[in-house]
Amino acid sequence: MPKTLKRKELRFGLEMIGIYLGYTAIFWGYPFLWMLVLTFSRWNFVGKIRFVGLENFQRIFFDSTFWRIFLNTLNFLAYLIPMTLVTSLLYALALGKVRYLRSFVVFGFLVANVSSGVAYSIMFSNLFASNGPVNRIVYALFGTTIPWFSHPQLAVFSICLMITWKFVGYYGLIIYAGLQAIPQSVIEAAKIEGADNKTIFTRIVLPLLNPSLVTVSILVTTLTFGIFTEPYMITGGGPMQRTLTPLIYMYDTAFRRINPSYATVVALVTALISFGLVMLIRRLFEKEVSFE
Amino acid sequence: MKKAKIIDFGINLLMIVLAFIWIYPYLWLLLSSFKPVDEIFTRFLPTRITFEHYKFIFVTSERLERPFVRALFNSVFISVSVTTLVILTSCLIGYALSRIDFKGARITSSFILFQMLFPGFMFLIPLFVLMRTLGLLDSYMAVIFPSAMSAWGIFMFSQSFKTIPQDYIDAAKIDGANRLWVIFRVLLPLSRTTASIVGLFTFIGIWDNFLWPLMVIKNPNRMPLAVLLAVFNHQYAGYIGPVLAGAVLQTIPMLIIFWILRDYFIKGIAFTLK
Repeated sequence: MPKTLKRKELRFGLEMIGIYLGYTAIFWGYPFLWMLVLTFSRWNFVGKIRFVGLENFQRIFFDSTFWRIFLNTLNFLAYLIPMTLVTSLLYALALGKVRYLRSFVVFGFLVANVSSGVAYSIMFSNLFASNGPVNRIVYALFGTTIPWFSHPQLAVFSICLMITWKFVGYYGLIIYAGLQAIPQSVIEAAKIEGADNKTIFTRIVLPLLNPSLVTVSILVTTLTFGIFTEPYMITGGGPMQRTLTPLIYMYDTAFRRINPSYATVVALVTALISFGLVMLIRRLFEKEVSFE
Repeated sequence: MKKAKIIDFGINLLMIVLAFIWIYPYLWLLLSSFKPVDEIFTRFLPTRITFEHYKFIFVTSERLERPFVRALFNSVFISVSVTTLVILTSCLIGYALSRIDFKGARITSSFILFQMLFPGFMFLIPLFVLMRTLGLLDSYMAVIFPSAMSAWGIFMFSQSFKTIPQDYIDAAKIDGANRLWVIFRVLLPLSRTTASIVGLFTFIGIWDNFLWPLMVIKNPNRMPLAVLLAVFNHQYAGYIGPVLAGAVLQTIPMLIIFWILRDYFIKGIAFTLK
């Protein structure tokens, strides 16, 4: 390439990077600095910012609502991780057997994934309403109705049911892609050695699926820490604060209790816990997998 | 062997039934928005079809300061703007990072990966403060600006541009094409899959975005559909028919985009594995 052309390319590259860094400085760097300022101060959106050192962090340590929310998040995870892993694994295994109406099955499940948070919350809160269609079927079959969103533990479970409905088709395909990557020759070899189906599944298929199973677990974990729309629309955080999530608390603290500093600390600590948990999952479950 | 085949067929049948159950909520929602009120909870198929719920959200709610038509256009405007901006900027910056070899590109690439580690919700409150300082609250800009460039989009495009042979670019240049022509007429069409995935996920993400517009937009005339629908649902939850019709309105554009780009969606899932 001639020298002038090369210099022109370089100039263009620098310009583009300049645009990106300029944008990032405004919409990422500046908020980042503000986040640090807010966490160490007290402020109510107007007036002077007062520096208070670590007071906000001390407060969160003794904030019983925050720890209630932490337990709620563990509660959500305790349902969501097994529910999504098992259903999407079963989905992926079954998809291998589907010959007829295959794209109907794939898109039937996947279309749930493109539901809008607000719209599907409205949809399910009415479907599962105390006198809604689902309870009518339950009543006809068992002579009783289920308090889907008004019982503390059931409300958590119902929201997890909605999220599972939404994500099986998506996570299932991730695991299906993992299944496809397992070479048939490995399984054939095990069969010749006399291994039965159960041994093949637990000793070969599951360990080789490790990367996709860990991927799904991490996706579910980060998603759980970000739950907002479903409880905001359906339960408002209740009953008994059981569906209160970090983001609802952040929103309420900032805009109802007008305390943006503490709201930012809530967001920051939540992000740190989420990050730590993802690291823990990686450390504990992630294995190097090779197909040789 | 025969037994295994019957089991496989049984599983196939079960999956078809389950797929119906998965679609059932959508069908129920769609049918219910056309049912008379007293049939919404009691019947699956309506005895007669009514448009009163749609009439309510398109005409009556206008007078209640809940302008659904306006909100639908707001959502379309915001989502289309953001998607266009993201694809445009991701292409240009992705080109700089992948096809021009200099130190700045390498440093910026690793910085982008670092940026992607931080969850968006960490910055919501400080970003709100920024929007307030800039006087952008209650404007479309407050929703569009913070999403106009995407670290993930740039990353995806630069990965894709890297795989395109230099010969294609040289050939175009010999024919007298300038740089922008190369980027938008040669590289972009060759990266159709990446462009579709970035476009699809960006569009759906912005259309579905709720918490951020809820924070920055209080004026009903500027609200995207998701926020207006939520506000309407809080105030008029008793009007089940119109609420469900609003939910249909919010869902349909996403389904259309999904249907157009469905094959890319599946390819996109393969990408998440890497």
